[in-house]
Amino acid sequence: MQLTGKHIINAAPAVVWAMLMDTDTLARIVPGISRLEKTGDHTFNSILEIKLGPVNSSFTGNLQLENVIVQKGFTLRGQQNSKIGNASAALKIGLSLVNAVQTEVAFNGDIRLSGLLATMGQRIMSGVANTLSKQFFANLEKEVEKANV
Amino acid sequence: MSIKISVTVNGVKHHDRVEPRLLLVHYLRDVLRLTGTHVGCDTSSCGACTIHVNGKAAKSCTLLAVQADKTKIITIEGLAEDDMMHPLQEAFKECHGLQCGFCTPGMIMTAADLLQHNSKPTEEEIRAALKGNYCRCTGYHNIVKSVQYAAAKMKAAKKPKKEVVL
Amino acid sequence: MSTNDWIGKSVRRVEDKRFITGMGRYTDDIILPQQTYASFVRSPYAHAKIIGVDIRAAKSMQGVVAIYTGADVASVNGVPCGWQVNFKNGDIMKEPKHPLLVADKVRHVGDAVAIVIAESQAEAVDAAQAVNVEYEELPCVVNAAEAVKPGAPLVHADVPANTCYDWSLGNPISEVDEAIHNAAHVSTLEFVNQRLIPNAIEPRSYNSSYEAATDKYTLYTSTQNPHLIRLLMCAFVLGIPEHKVRVVGPDVGGAFGSKIFHYTEEALLTWCTKKIKRPVKWTSTRTEAFQLDAHGRDHITKADMGFDKDGKIMALRVKTFANLGAYLSSFATCVPTYLHGTLLQGLYTTPKINVDITAVFTNTTVVDAYRGAGRPEATYLLERLVDLAAHEMNMDPAELRFKNFIPPFDGINQPGYQTQVALQYDSGNYEGVLKKGLEMLGYENFRNEQKEAAGNGKLLGVGFSTYIEACGIAPSAVVGSLGARAGLYEVGQVRVQPTGKVSVYTGSHAHGQGHETTFAQVVADKLGISMDDVEIVHGDSEAVAFGMGTYGSRSIAVGGSAIVKSIEKIIEKGKKIAAHKLEANADDIEFASGKFTVKGTDKSVGFGDVALTAYVPHHYPAGLEPGLDFSSFYDPANFTYPFGCHIAVVEIDKETGNVILKRFIAVDDVGNVINPMIVDGQIHGGVVQGVGQALFEGAEYDANGQLTNGSYMDYCMPRADDVPMIETAGQVTPCPHNPLGVKGAGEAGTIGSTPAVVNAVIDALWSGGHKVKDIRMPVTSERVWRAMQN
Repeated sequence: MQLTGKHIINAAPAVVWAMLMDTDTLARIVPGISRLEKTGDHTFNSILEIKLGPVNSSFTGNLQLENVIVQKGFTLRGQQNSKIGNASAALKIGLSLVNAVQTEVAFNGDIRLSGLLATMGQRIMSGVANTLSKQFFANLEKEVEKANV
Repeated sequence: MSIKISVTVNGVKHHDRVEPRLLLVHYLRDVLRLTGTHVGCDTSSCGACTIHVNGKAAKSCTLLAVQADKTKIITIEGLAEDDMMHPLQEAFKECHGLQCGFCTPGMIMTAADLLQHNSKPTEEEIRAALKGNYCRCTGYHNIVKSVQYAAAKMKAAKKPKKEVVL
Repeated sequence: MSTNDWIGKSVRRVEDKRFITGMGRYTDDIILPQQTYASFVRSPYAHAKIIGVDIRAAKSMQGVVAIYTGADVASVNGVPCGWQVNFKNGDIMKEPKHPLLVADKVRHVGDAVAIVIAESQAEAVDAAQAVNVEYEELPCVVNAAEAVKPGAPLVHADVPANTCYDWSLGNPISEVDEAIHNAAHVSTLEFVNQRLIPNAIEPRSYNSSYEAATDKYTLYTSTQNPHLIRLLMCAFVLGIPEHKVRVVGPDVGGAFGSKIFHYTEEALLTWCTKKIKRPVKWTSTRTEAFQLDAHGRDHITKADMGFDKDGKIMALRVKTFANLGAYLSSFATCVPTYLHGTLLQGLYTTPKINVDITAVFTNTTVVDAYRGAGRPEATYLLERLVDLAAHEMNMDPAELRFKNFIPPFDGINQPGYQTQVALQYDSGNYEGVLKKGLEMLGYENFRNEQKEAAGNGKLLGVGFSTYIEACGIAPSAVVGSLGARAGLYEVGQVRVQPTGKVSVYTGSHAHGQGHETTFAQVVADKLGISMDDVEIVHGDSEAVAFGMGTYGSRSIAVGGSAIVKSIEKIIEKGKKIAAHKLEANADDIEFASGKFTVKGTDKSVGFGDVALTAYVPHHYPAGLEPGLDFSSFYDPANFTYPFGCHIAVVEIDKETGNVILKRFIAVDDVGNVINPMIVDGQIHGGVVQGVGQALFEGAEYDANGQLTNGSYMDYCMPRADDVPMIETAGQVTPCPHNPLGVKGAGEAGTIGSTPAVVNAVIDALWSGGHKVKDIRMPVTSERVWRAMQN
C-alpha cells in the first residue's frame, strides 16, 4: 500500500531534524510506540501498539534509518511482527526549507502487510494510515511548540 | 481468574464460573453442551450462533458469557414447548427449508424473532430480516417459504376459539 | 397406485427432525474423554524460507500437552494426489510433496509450521501465538499465466516453470486452426474464471483418537467420503493398517466439494493422537477456512469460436492456464482436464474442438473441485461465447442455440452422441429445455419490456445458458485409463432384519442432500414397504463395508444403483423362500407391492413373512443359506449427462451500475426424479451459488500473495435479500444405463446459472448501446458503471 503526505511545521529544518534524530522525542511522536530502544547509530528496536479497526495488536520489530542526509531526509525502513501478521515498510522522509521558521516534511513509501493483518486489515488500512500520519504531524507540532516555549 | 454467572437457559438455571474471555456461544456449546447453536465464522457475520437473549435474537458469538449473567436465554433446543414443535420448526421441515442443517438453528431463531413483532411479513421483509444469516445450501428460496408458512400457521392458531363456528 | 409407491413423491425429509431441534451431531459437537485441542502456527507469508522455529516459550505455557514442527514429521509422507495427468510428451505430472507440516519453506499464507496441542482450545491458541518462527521472505507468484514465464519465482525448486503438466484434447490443433481461419465469423473471449472459496458454513473439523490396548484409531471428520479418507490416509500417508482405523463422517454442515479432499490436518491429528495417547480435536476457524479449504475455478482462458455465415458453429479453440495453488490437492489435476476439457462440446454439434491446458503451481491456497468442478468453467466459456456471437452477428441468442443443438436422442432407439472430446452422451433433448424456458420467460413479451425499460433509467437484459454436465462419476475402467488412482463405483448393502425392517448401508455420504429420505424412498418403493421400515446408514467405515463417497452428483446414480442391485438380490432370494412356503417353483413367483405371489393365483406371502423365514429357517429350501442380507458394488457403464436451460433477467440502474437479479428460470433435465422437492432444493441452492460467482464472489490476492478478502466481512456471498425466488421446472429424459434412470442434480444449478447471469448483464448493456464483449466476474456495480462509460 502506497503512503504519501506532507505537512508544514513551524520550525526551522535544523529543529525538526534534531527532533527526528532524538530517540525520546521520536518515541513520543510516532503514534503507537510504547518502547523505542536505540541499538546503533541509526537502528532501533521497537514495540508498537496499534489498533486497526477489528485488528488490534502489539508489534515488535526494528527500525532503521538509511540514506541519512543531515537536515534533508532519510529512509525509514522497518519490519514489525505481530501475532496477527507482519508489516514491513520503507518510507522516504524529506525535509525542505519553506522559510527560516517553516519546514515542509514529506513522506512517500509503501507498507506491505501479511497474515491476518492483510486479510482483515487491508480494507481499512488507508483510513488507518491517514489517521496515523495526522497523529504523527500533530505530535510533531506539539513537540515544536514545547521547544518554542 | 474466573467470574461467577447465573443464566437461565431454556428454563433451567445454571450457575457457573467462567473465564472473562469466554464467548457466550462457547459457554452454551462447551460448558452446557447445548451444541445446537453453531459457530460458522469469526467475524459475527454468519448468524449460525443466533439465540434469544431476554426474548430478542442475538448472535451468541458477539457476547461474552459474563455479559449473559442474569439473562434468560432460549436456544434451538428450547424452542419447542412440551414436545410441541414451534411452528417454524414444523415449517422448515414442511417447506424443505434446510439441507445440511448447520445454519438452520440460527435461521429459525432469527425468523422466530421476526414473527414475534411482525406476524404477517412480506417476502421482502423476510429477506431483510434474514440477511444476517448465511445459508449456502438452499439459496434461501425454501427458507423464505418456511417463514411464510409458519406465519400463516401461527396466525391461524391465534384466532380466538369463540370465533370458530361449530 | 399402491400406498407404498414412494418414487416421484415429495416426501418430507426424515433427517430434518434432528436439525430443527438442535440435535444434529457435527464433528465439532463431539468431545471425547481426555480430549485435547489443537491450534496451528501458520505462515503469514506466501513464500518464505523458515530460518528457525522456537517453541521453548510455548512449551512451558499452561495446559500445553505437546508441540510438533515440520522436523518431527519430516519422515512422514505428504498427502497424495488421486489422479495422475501426464504431460503432452508423456512425462508424468510434477507431484511435489505436500507435507503435514512444513520444515523448509512455506508456500502459501496459512501453510502450517507447527501444531500446538493443549488441554483447552484457548490454551492451544495462546501457546501457538507464543511459538516464534523466523522467516526470510521470498518473492512470490500468484497468477497462473505469470507463473510459467521465465524468471518467475519457483514454488517448488524441482518444478520448472511451475508447470504441473500441460495437456490437450480433441481434434488436432492444425485442423481446428484451419477451421477457425476459414470461419465466416469468429467470436473471441479472453477472460478470468475467478477463484472462488467454497465456504460451507460448517468449518472443517477433525477429532482423532487412539486406543493403545487395541492399536485402533478413530477419526471423526467433516468429510464427504469417509472410506476414501481412510484409504488415502492409511495407505499413502501414515502407513497404518486400514483395518485398524475407523473413519466416521457424522453430520456434515455443507461441503460443495471442499470436504472431498484428504487434508493434512486429518493425517497429522491421527499421527499426533498415537504420540500423546489422547484424542486430539481441531476445528478450523473461518479465517483458516479461507486460507486452507481448497478453492475452486481460477482459470485464465482465451477461447475462439468460429461460425459459418448461417451461424453454425464450425470450431472451438481453447487455451487455459489453470491455477492449482501451492500443492496438489487430492483431485486438483482432473478438474481442468477430464472434468472441463471433456465438456467443451456442450450441447452443440461443433465438428472441430481443441482444448489446451497448462496447470500451474502458485503461492496460493490449493485449488480443487468446487461445486460443478470444471464443468462450470466449460459451460461459462461456451455459453458466453455463444451469446457474444449472437450479439456480434446480430442474431437471436435462443435462435442461434436452436440452430446448433445436437438433435434429441434417447440412448436406446438412437445411439448415444459421440463428442469430439472423448465423452459419449447418454441421452438428451436439448431443444426441449430451451423451449420450455422461453415459454416460462415469455420471451417475445420480454423484448418489448426491454425497450420500454430503457426509457425509465433502467436497462433490462436476458441471459441464456444451455448446459450439459458429466455426472454419476464414474466408470472405473474409463477413469482408470485416464489416470484416476481409485475406482469410482459405489457400495450398497441392504440388510433385511428378521422382522422385515430394512437397514441400508451406503458408501454415499449425505451432507445436506437428503439421502436418508431419497434412498429410503427407493428401497421402500422397490420392496413395497413403508418408509418408516427403512433406515439409511452412512458415513461410518465400521458400519458400511466400503464406499467412494459423495461428489460429482453421483449419489443417486451410482450409490442408488448399488442399493437397487442389492434389492434385486434380496427379491431373487425372497422368491426362492416364498416358493418353498407356497409350494411353487421359484420361477413362478412374482414380487410386487411387498408380496410374493404365485403368478396367476391369489396365493401369496408377505415380505415380512419371507424375512422372518430367512432368519428362522425351520422350513426352508434345501441348500439355501439363511439370512436376507446382500451387498453390491455398482460400477456405472458411463457417466450420466444431466442438462438444462437457465435464464436470468437482470435490471441495471443506469446511474449506479447496480445489478438486480429480477428473475431466474431453471429448466433442468436430471433424468428420473425420486423426490422432486429435494431436487428443486438442490437446484435452488446450486443456482444461488452460481449467481454468487456471477455477481458477488471472488478471491482477491495482492501481489504479495496475501488473500485480501479472507473473511465474511470481505468476501461477499449471496444473502437472503440478494436473490429472487427461483422458478424451476423439469423435463425427464431418463438415463438409459442405470436401473433408476437417474442422472444427478447436485451441481446442475451451479453449472448452468453463472453464464446466464453474466449474459443477461451483457444483454442489458447492449440494449443500452454499450457494446462490450465481456465484463469481469464478479459483476460489481463499479464494473458495470465503468462499462457504461465507454
